[in-house]
Amino acid sequence: MSISVSKIWNRLFLEERPSIGLSFFRIFVALTVGLHVLPSFFHLDDNYLSTAFKNYNLHFFTPEVIELVQKSPDAVVMAFVGVFGLSCFFFLIGFFAQISCIVMTMACYYFYALNCFHIGTLSWDILLVTLFLMCLTNVHGDYFSVDCLRRGNTDAYKTQRPFFIQRLLQMQIASTYFYTALYKITASGNWLTDNPLYYLWNYPPEGVTKQFLFREFFAARPELCHVIAVAIVVTELALGFLLFIPRTRIAAIIVGFIFHILLVLTLHVPTIFFFLFPPQLLLFIDPDGIIRWIDRKRRQHETTGQAKIIYDGHCGFCRKSLDILKTMDLFNYLKTVDYQTSADMSTLHPALTKEACHSQLHLIEPDGRLSGGFFIFRRICWRFPMLFSLIPVFYFPGSNLLGPLVYRWIAKNRYLFHSNEVCKDNKCFL
Amino acid sequence: MKNRNTWISIFVILWTLLFHYESIRYFYLNPLFHRNLPQMKFLFPPAGWIMFFNVGESYGLAQVYGVKNHHVEEIDPHRIFETKAVLYDNIHRNVLSGILDSFQKPAFCKFLNRKFPQYDEFLIIGSYYPSVIKEPGRKLSRVQYTCP
Repeated sequence: MSISVSKIWNRLFLEERPSIGLSFFRIFVALTVGLHVLPSFFHLDDNYLSTAFKNYNLHFFTPEVIELVQKSPDAVVMAFVGVFGLSCFFFLIGFFAQISCIVMTMACYYFYALNCFHIGTLSWDILLVTLFLMCLTNVHGDYFSVDCLRRGNTDAYKTQRPFFIQRLLQMQIASTYFYTALYKITASGNWLTDNPLYYLWNYPPEGVTKQFLFREFFAARPELCHVIAVAIVVTELALGFLLFIPRTRIAAIIVGFIFHILLVLTLHVPTIFFFLFPPQLLLFIDPDGIIRWIDRKRRQHETTGQAKIIYDGHCGFCRKSLDILKTMDLFNYLKTVDYQTSADMSTLHPALTKEACHSQLHLIEPDGRLSGGFFIFRRICWRFPMLFSLIPVFYFPGSNLLGPLVYRWIAKNRYLFHSNEVCKDNKCFL
Repeated sequence: MKNRNTWISIFVILWTLLFHYESIRYFYLNPLFHRNLPQMKFLFPPAGWIMFFNVGESYGLAQVYGVKNHHVEEIDPHRIFETKAVLYDNIHRNVLSGILDSFQKPAFCKFLNRKFPQYDEFLIIGSYYPSVIKEPGRKLSRVQYTCP
């Protein structure tokens, strides 16, 4: 009996499993925090400076903390704005992921204590619970992060870590659904005894309900409103359990997504409901399954043909850059070829020469398409999930002129970034 | 490894207990024990996860009027609190109703005078729809306080 309990406990929390899901979730936590807090910085004089109108959450903070924070001169507030902006960005890109998470969370607390008027909501408190768990570990920096690029581990995507943080985040959202439903039908909740949706949809235009399609239709049908209200409660109650059952998990995640989309379409609820909770539902997807799927895609590329990237093996900077690209190359799309060790470049592509390869990187795609320099990044950014966010940058109007210039300058001076003393004066380029 | 697992296990147990304690403390445990049980500050909401748990048929809101040369005009709440949230409107979440309590008067009047120097005076009105179902158009209003 004790062995099986220990086995279950081990399976639930202690077992090492891939951390890629948590790394992906980190991006959405950072986005959610940024989207929720940053708008309040556009009117600092209204929200945080000495001229602001402030409210304090004395249920959440102690009076001493509120008093201490209120003593901040405007310069300190401005400094915290900078700290928040920087740490939120670093957390988003996974640069010193754990430290940036801690600093960003502290800045969040600071602004919450300074004035809860705009950012303080119940969902904000949920977000803080999530942030607390994220602060405890650096696991979320294992992949989709600058940290993993710095480490240069090409297998970073399948890093194994104790599963407890991901499990606690799963339990957090499942419990939140469960308790939300429980409060609606017990305590002072009136979702079974009354008709709250009917009231909500009949609220005046100034109210919390958005002017969504068919609002008038629903607002005129109390019985239908009641049925929908009961369905919502049942869904919330069930989600808390269905998410943990492998056979119902995917359906529960889809229902959860639909639930949150409808919530945002019909009510003025904070961004957190849309940007945090659906990605948190994705934490229920089996991380081993994700790795198996990635490995299948990697094998597929190996057998059906990879793109060849031709680089200068004498250039340490190029080798380092290629390592970074290989770490980003989640689906093993690239095969690296050092032109310095290749006898005949024309066997790779008829248009390739040693001179051409010396001047810039080249990419030969499986269909034979050849691109070079900056335009390589335009081609591979669609294949590398870690580069998805840079697609708008690579395709920004004018980037086809500016990009090659920047690339040429770096390529020309690449030996200046060289770790080999012999090439440090860039003479190797000549 | 064993040491690490022990620490993780202790944390998981403590965290789970705390999470569920704070989730049910206010509405379930306090009535059960007939007293206010200790609250964990700095992390959890004070009354559990009570999103939209009780929605009534009445609705209240705050309105602010500016007075200039004895002419009264309503000030758009979006001009009072200009912060634009992403994907939703904070004013519709009724954040303005927070100014109705009379203890807010000094701070809010100071804020209004800075923000709208063109007005001589402000009227802070509390408006109330007694029932959005039975009397949908009926709105009761009264002056909560004025700002000179």
